[in-house]
Amino acid sequence: MLQIRWHSRAGQGAVTGAKALADVMARTGKYVQAYSVYGAEKRGAPMTAYDKIDDKPILDHSKWMTPDYVLVIDPSLVFQEEIVDNTTDDTIFIVTSHMDKEDLLSVAKHLQGKKVYVVDAIKISQEEIGRAIPNTPMLGAFMKVSGIIPFEDFLVSIEDILSKFPKKIIEGNLRAIKRAYEEVK
Amino acid sequence: MATPKEMLTTWDKVQFGAVLPAFEDPEHKKRSKFHSYNYSVADWRVEKPVFNRELCIDCDFCWVSCPDSCFIVEEVVNKRGKKQAKIVGINYNLCKGCAVCVEVCPTPIKSLLMFPEYVDNDEALKQWPTKDNK
Amino acid sequence: MAERYELKQKEVWDGNMAAAHALRQAQVDVVAAYPITPSTPIVQNYAQFLADGYVDGEFIMVESEHSAMSACVGAAAAGGRVATATSSQGYALMVEVLYQASGMRLPIVMTVVNRALASPLNIHGDHSDLYLGRDAGWIHIIANNPQEAYDLTLCAFRIGEDERVRLPVTTNQDGFLVSHTAQVVEPLQDEEAYKFIGEYKALNPMLDTKNPVTYGAQTEEEWHFEHKANQHKALMESFPVIEEVFNEFEKVSGRKYNVVETYKLDDADIALVLMGSAYETAMLAVDKAREEGIKVGLLMPRVFRPFPYNEVAEKLKNVKAIAALDRSAPMGTTGALYNEVAGALAAKGQSAIMTNYIYGLGGRDTTVEHILEVIRETEKNAKAGKRVTDLQGFINLRGPKLSFN
Repeated sequence: MLQIRWHSRAGQGAVTGAKALADVMARTGKYVQAYSVYGAEKRGAPMTAYDKIDDKPILDHSKWMTPDYVLVIDPSLVFQEEIVDNTTDDTIFIVTSHMDKEDLLSVAKHLQGKKVYVVDAIKISQEEIGRAIPNTPMLGAFMKVSGIIPFEDFLVSIEDILSKFPKKIIEGNLRAIKRAYEEVK
Repeated sequence: MATPKEMLTTWDKVQFGAVLPAFEDPEHKKRSKFHSYNYSVADWRVEKPVFNRELCIDCDFCWVSCPDSCFIVEEVVNKRGKKQAKIVGINYNLCKGCAVCVEVCPTPIKSLLMFPEYVDNDEALKQWPTKDNK
Repeated sequence: MAERYELKQKEVWDGNMAAAHALRQAQVDVVAAYPITPSTPIVQNYAQFLADGYVDGEFIMVESEHSAMSACVGAAAAGGRVATATSSQGYALMVEVLYQASGMRLPIVMTVVNRALASPLNIHGDHSDLYLGRDAGWIHIIANNPQEAYDLTLCAFRIGEDERVRLPVTTNQDGFLVSHTAQVVEPLQDEEAYKFIGEYKALNPMLDTKNPVTYGAQTEEEWHFEHKANQHKALMESFPVIEEVFNEFEKVSGRKYNVVETYKLDDADIALVLMGSAYETAMLAVDKAREEGIKVGLLMPRVFRPFPYNEVAEKLKNVKAIAALDRSAPMGTTGALYNEVAGALAAKGQSAIMTNYIYGLGGRDTTVEHILEVIRETEKNAKAGKRVTDLQGFINLRGPKLSFN
């Protein structure tokens, strides 16, 4: 079972991102679970969202997991040590930051020795979508790093999932996804 | 016990969901056994209302106000050709003699007045007050 | 005429979306609701469907849950198919009217998303509200995942509206753990779902002005007992209808539900009894325990009311030790599920060693490892041939060990 944990602030779209990823993976015949852990608190509060992806129906309804991937879509949460909770040496971190990996690791010491990829999902979303909603660019970066499904297939699915939005938003998101796919390192 | 014994059905025969129909036969307006119409307390009466058709303007206040549905109504067609309810009398099997109808009757000389139970209705009408003597 | 909703063979829905689609497909005449977390999206999604032309019905916004259920009672008595949704405090405010709905035999369907009851305030999942409505005369069905929340809501209409039943039904799903967890759901297409549920048949509708009826008549001591006994009988005798509907549902969906669900119970020495999403988590714990050589199985009453006590006892007749897990604060005694199971066993003269665990209050996480620990403790009782563990334990509670004996 592939397990993914998102770190985000309430309002940044981690729940939507986690559900979109689940939807994409379900279309490939996988079983999925997407959920989040939050209280009744205000927008901006740190929260987590989760994806579980498996070949058989997912029965575990506990929130606890040892993630294979940790996706951090808020640049300030990168500095919270909670993002390494319950991870292993094999856990892959994809984090949002304007810094390059070396500079980031010199400050975010808890990430040293971990497998870390960096993408500036905030800047990408601001420039391509017009708002700091870093969830879809993070999906692009995740597709590149994980190689879980062919990127073209992903683009077809995500375009369909976004189809309820206006054309301008869809196009912006697709541009942001493609840019993040290219820029993550 | 207030409920007549013959009405006390057993748990397996009670009315579904305690939903009580007004009519046993809706088409012929035959009231059901659950209707309080069938539950007479007329023997409590010591004074009775007497109805004077001559003075009645068919405002139906008595019909609306009566707690025991005593007023007998007939459907008539009025001068303009419209259907109208006409009060024609009192069902003394239902009246408990509360005198609410007399209280609400709006005619200058009441069309309804209370008389002792033993006074004959024709005799009561003869004793009715007039304009000079109300 | 309502528009047809295009559905894929597999959708990724959370429990709320699943329940909302089931209500939409049932073509409910009236939904009266006052949204409350975590069931808000059921009402929200339904209102969206209605606004988009996918439902021919009325949505009544009311000022409280008491009014919501009151409006449901009125609409159902008038002769319509009626549904609503609620959770927790909203459920608590409805309680007075829940008894009215069942006493009047109105087949209202309520999709409940289970949530803890305050105080202290908590929006997350436990079974406090389900237990609160236990004696209200409703049929209570438990769903463990979004697929079941969808399936069982469809079944709920057919069960409640059956002429042999005519009782209100709740479908229950765990707050957030099911209601806000997106999983793969395989829905029926609209026509298929509606055909399964069928046209609504009104019984004694108040809007039939030619045949006026009184709902909620006063009864007093000459009548009340007889009516309540009659109502109880309807609930007790609803099992065959529930089974019939589950069988019919299997024919259209391929998914089979049972009044009592079991997992690897046939050869088990010990059993865990629990309801809700944790039942599925416990399946994984059972698999692990069996690798350790512990012969353990699971049992879940799919229907909490009426409680299938004979079948529960029958299915547990060969186990030596049982742990009943309650997801609600027991407040002064053993948990309700423990009591139900103990009563069921006692009635048959069975004497498995029984213990009670309280878990998951206010959404507290309960993992495979936690349940595995319960299995290991229960195994000790079975081996000793008597109870050597605590009568009542608490799973994943912080602080010094708390237990009662």
